[in-house]
Amino acid sequence: MTAQQVVERIQKKLQELKINWRAQTVDTFKAGSPETEVRAIATTGMATFDVLRRAAAAGRNFVITHEPTFYNHLDQTGDLEADPIYQAKQRFIKDSHLVVFRFHDHAHALQPDPLVAGSARMLGWTQYASPTEPRIYVLPPTTLRELAVDVNTKLKGRAIRVAGDPEMKVTRVALGPGYGVPPLTTSIDVAVGGETAESGGNAEYILDAAADGQKKGMILLGHMMSEDWGMREVADWLRPLVPEVTVEWVPAGEPFTTAK
Amino acid sequence: MNRLPTSRREFLVGTTAGLLSGRALAQPPRLTAQQVADRIRASVGLPWRAQTTDGFKAGDPSTPVTGIATTVMASTDTLRRAVASGQNFIVTQEPLFYSNNEDPGNRANDPVYLAKKALIDEHRLVVWRFAEHWNARQPNEAARALAALLKWADADVPDAAQTYRIRETTLGALVAQLQSRLPLRGGLRMVGQPGMRVRTVYVSPGTTSLASAVANLQKADVILTGEPREWEAVPYSLDTWSAERGKGLIAIGRLVSEGPGAQACATWIHSVLPEVRVESISIADPYWSVNV
Repeated sequence: MTAQQVVERIQKKLQELKINWRAQTVDTFKAGSPETEVRAIATTGMATFDVLRRAAAAGRNFVITHEPTFYNHLDQTGDLEADPIYQAKQRFIKDSHLVVFRFHDHAHALQPDPLVAGSARMLGWTQYASPTEPRIYVLPPTTLRELAVDVNTKLKGRAIRVAGDPEMKVTRVALGPGYGVPPLTTSIDVAVGGETAESGGNAEYILDAAADGQKKGMILLGHMMSEDWGMREVADWLRPLVPEVTVEWVPAGEPFTTAK
Repeated sequence: MNRLPTSRREFLVGTTAGLLSGRALAQPPRLTAQQVADRIRASVGLPWRAQTTDGFKAGDPSTPVTGIATTVMASTDTLRRAVASGQNFIVTQEPLFYSNNEDPGNRANDPVYLAKKALIDEHRLVVWRFAEHWNARQPNEAARALAALLKWADADVPDAAQTYRIRETTLGALVAQLQSRLPLRGGLRMVGQPGMRVRTVYVSPGTTSLASAVANLQKADVILTGEPREWEAVPYSLDTWSAERGKGLIAIGRLVSEGPGAQACATWIHSVLPEVRVESISIADPYWSVNV
């Protein structure tokens, strides 16, 4: 089957789930020909150059990515044409006969959102999901420090950042993947997500709450450490739709290194 | 430019002697917040933009100004520190009420928001945002101030604005240098192999756009920035390694990266408003890490 036919299966399944394919969407082919015969599929949090190399080496010529391929939300490449990094990546895609498709907007439209569910599963929180409030997890009482250590142990991130008093008591956590870190409110102890603007949001709110004697916290996992896992959920969701080909998750992994 | 104190504590621009002699003379009427803002606008050296996030965010522009405090972020703690040292005009780089347009949205009844508003009202504070115009000055003041704090001020690369030639080092050693010279806790993150050779650094406080990363990594080995977006400059710098042209990226957080610029802003404001006391109030790295 072709890459185009794989996308049509996805669209048909979404239609059955009463999720309309959007007229305006970033979920489009980003590189390669949709008519390419698919040997195997790789899903990933982000189609980094390294992911493309690993997918090609494993014979997976159709890469379905959650985040952009060319470093901007709309994958606009006009300003990149002369750039040697962009050129090398495009050359590799062409030489390896890869096809890249983005599955972002419609992935988030699935119920439950696989990007949230994937992180929750990695963190061992699935059983604590609030039955009534989306994205809220009611954890056994812990402290922010203990929670951060546990999160770090489970995700093995190298750049997880925490704001707030390490000794604060935590039970109610809001989990939002990627750039969708939930805004802190009176009813949430800690927000957990990928990345967020440092000013005009939770970091400032946590400082101001502390100045008023209220304890709030935030754990920033990094964008990939919050969404990569969700594309494993998407691989599981996609597999029965395309029994003719194998579907595997190729994690993009932690982009950040450590100084030592 | 003036040498910046390396201490991150509050510092006073001007001398005690100057303040005393000022007091000994007949007191001229205090400038209003509006007059202070007008003087800054007239002195910034750029046309004031019609559409801008800069301007009054809280308080009455007719308030007589007792002193000016510059800061990266007008947090409740910053406002209290300004009150304690007698400053009622706060010049901030970043928003006051948790969003870029200062609309509290669903936080309108939030106790944290209401307490901050009450503090401003009680002490008749005026908060004025000055970021777009300050950061549009050339050469870039915030980059120059951060580089100066790192003692890179005299080694900029010709034809590459905000790019500094530094004593040859490695990415890992550069990170260690930043950890020791900046008020960092857990907010520093890096992309790249720690052993890579570094001779040139592009300094971009705040954030760095994709276009800026692509253009400036042509000449610089490393980008030093605040909060790069993780679907833009971060994967781009990661991909340079797969393309065998490895470049480094060091993110130190927006607040830490803009701190020296807010100090430099106090120095500059005092130069255009010598009759007003100007102070800079620092903000610490909001993040800690279980890995540090």
